Amino acid sequence: MFRKVLIANRGEIAVRLVRALRDMGIASVAVFSDADRGALHVRLADEAEHIGPAPSAESYLNIPRLLEAARKHGAQAIHPGYGFLSENAEFASACDAAGLVFIGPSAETIRRLGSKTAARILAKQVHVPVVPGSEKPATDLEHARTLARELGYPVLLKAAAGGGGKGMRQVNKESELEASIRDASSEAERAFHNAEVYIEKVIERPRHIEIQIAGDRFGHLLHLGERECSVQRRHQKIIEECPSPLVFLNPEMRQEMGEAALRIARAAGYYNLGTVEFLADQYGNFYFLEVNTRLQVEHPVTELVTGLDLVQLQIRIAAGEALPFSQEDVRWSGWAMECRICAEDPENQFFPSPGKILQLREPAGPGIRLDSGVSPGWNIPLEYDPLLAKLVAWAPGRDIAIRRLDRALAEYAIAGPVTNLAFFREILRDPEFERGALHTGFIADLMTRRKAPEAPSLQLDLAVALATAAAAARNRDGETPLEKPQASNWLIEGRGHLLR
Amino acid sequence: MKFEIAIDGRPIEIDKTQLENAIEVEPGVFSVLIDGRSFEIRLPAGGPETNAIADGRRFSVEVRDPRDATGSSRSAPAGGRQKVAAPMPGKVIRILVKQGDAVEAGQGLAVVEAMKMQNEMKAPRPARVIEVRVRDGDTVAAGETLVVLE
Repeated sequence: MFRKVLIANRGEIAVRLVRALRDMGIASVAVFSDADRGALHVRLADEAEHIGPAPSAESYLNIPRLLEAARKHGAQAIHPGYGFLSENAEFASACDAAGLVFIGPSAETIRRLGSKTAARILAKQVHVPVVPGSEKPATDLEHARTLARELGYPVLLKAAAGGGGKGMRQVNKESELEASIRDASSEAERAFHNAEVYIEKVIERPRHIEIQIAGDRFGHLLHLGERECSVQRRHQKIIEECPSPLVFLNPEMRQEMGEAALRIARAAGYYNLGTVEFLADQYGNFYFLEVNTRLQVEHPVTELVTGLDLVQLQIRIAAGEALPFSQEDVRWSGWAMECRICAEDPENQFFPSPGKILQLREPAGPGIRLDSGVSPGWNIPLEYDPLLAKLVAWAPGRDIAIRRLDRALAEYAIAGPVTNLAFFREILRDPEFERGALHTGFIADLMTRRKAPEAPSLQLDLAVALATAAAAARNRDGETPLEKPQASNWLIEGRGHLLR
Repeated sequence: MKFEIAIDGRPIEIDKTQLENAIEVEPGVFSVLIDGRSFEIRLPAGGPETNAIADGRRFSVEVRDPRDATGSSRSAPAGGRQKVAAPMPGKVIRILVKQGDAVEAGQGLAVVEAMKMQNEMKAPRPARVIEVRVRDGDTVAAGETLVVLE
C-alpha cells in the first residue's frame, strides 16, 4: 500500500480524499493555488504545496508543477479527484512516466472513452443503444448545419472532452446554431483545453441515470448500481439519489443497465472506478451518453446504500489489490439522496455568488453525512466551481430520506454568500418531486409553476425585529455579551441613526 | 426607550423591556423566544448589506430613528434609461451588441464568465443600446455597468 498520496484537486473533494487517506493510514499531500492557501483541504492535509496563481490553468491544471510537488514530498501516487485533470490522458501518462501511480483507469482507457464520439462508437459496437447524433466533432459550421437539420431541432451541443455541463448548449433553431457553437467551443476550450463539440438529438423529458462500475487489474469488473441525477440546472446535477425512483419501479433496469455498462467497460479495458451515464425515457428505454473515467461528485449516495467506501476502493485497486468482493456480494439497502450546496442565487438564474462565509452551522444527526470544503471565515474564490458542500441523507425509504434531508437543510446555516439551501427545501416539498416524477427539465418546469413564497409569519417578523433591536442595543451600550462585535455596516448605520 | 425596526420595509416597534426575549448566543446569532416559540436569527457582521437570516429566509433590516421622519433617500433611476450591470465579478467574453442597436426583450447583450460559467446578460425589455461600457476580455466588478439601454 502507498505511504503518501498527493491530491491534485481542491474544495470538498480534496477534503473527502484527505479523509479516505487518513482512514487508511496514508499520509496526504494537498496542493493549493494563491486563492486557496487558507482552504480547508490545505488545513486538514498532512502536507501541502503551493502550485501557482489562482487561475486553474496555471495551478490545478499545471501538470509539471503537480509532478514536481509529488516528487518534492515523496508521494507515490496521485489522486486527481473530479474535474481538473481527472479525465486527462496526458496527465495519467505523465504520472506513469514520472514513476507515480495515477489513481484511475489507464491513460489508454481514458483516451478511448474520453472522446464522447469515440465512446459512442464503442458503445454501438457492443450493442448498447446510443442517442442519435454526430460521430465526429462539428467544428465546420456547414457540416453542423446539415447534421442538425437531419436530426431535427432541438439539438444539443456537447463538448467532446467535457462533463459537468460545460460547453453544453441546447439549440432550438438554426439561427441560434452559429453563436451557440462559438460559445460552446470557447467554454469547452477554457474548461478542457479542447474546443471540439458534437451534436446530439434532444430526447424529450429524459431522466439521467448512471451506473457506478468498479474493476481491478485482474479483469474483475462489477457494477454498484445506479444513481438518478435528473434534477439539474444549467445541465449540472444538483440532486442525486440511489435507487433511481424509475429503477425502483422497474427493478430489471438495474441489471440491464449494469450489464450494458460492463460491456462498454470490458471493451475499453477498464479498471479502477468509473461511471457510465445513460439517458432514460419515461418508459424505461435507456441510451448510452458517456463514460466518466473518474470518481463522481455524487459518489456518496452509492456509498451510503452499498456500505462501501468508493475512494478507499479506488486507492486499493490502484495499489494493485484485487476487488475484495464479487457482484453477488453487492447489496443495496435503503435510500440515499444528495443536495449540492452551492454559492449561487436560484432567484437570479443560479448566478454564482462568491464571497466570505461569515457564519456557518453544519447539520448533523441520524442519517446525515456532510462532505464540505468550506469553513467559517472562508472567502469563496470566484475562480472555481461554486460547489461548497454535499449534504447527503440516508433512510430506509425515499419519503423518510426526503424528510431527513429537509430537516438537515433547516439546521444548515450559511451567512454571507447567497446559497441554494432554501431552494432545496422548496424542491423537496414539491409534489412532483415527492412522487419521483423526475426529468432533466425538472428545475426549468418548477421555476414556471412555483408560487411566490408566503409572507413570513408575524411571529417571525417580530423575532427578527427583536434580534435587530437587541443587536442595536448591544452595540449602542457597548455591551459585548460574548466578544467584541466586528464592525458592521448595518450596525454602524443603526448606531448613526440612534445618535443623531 | 423604543426601537423602530423595519423588516423588509415593514415597520415594527420594539420596547426595551421586550429585549430580554432575545439573547446573543454566539457573535451575530440571536436566540429569540416569542410566546414559547423558538427562533434563531442571524445578523452576520461585516456583510455588504443589512441582512438577517431566519428560517432559511433573508430579510433586509433597518433600525430607524423615530425622530428621522424621512423615508429612503435612494433616488430612482432616470425614467426610460436602464443600466445592465454584471451581477458578480467576472470577465467579459463577448459583447453581442453595439451602440445604436435596437434590441428585443430577452436578446443577449453580453456574455460574462465567472466561476467557470458563461452567463448571457439579456435585455429586460425592447430598447435601444445607447452605450456599451466594456470591451471583450475586460474584467468587471459586481454591479459594474456593461450596457446602457433606453
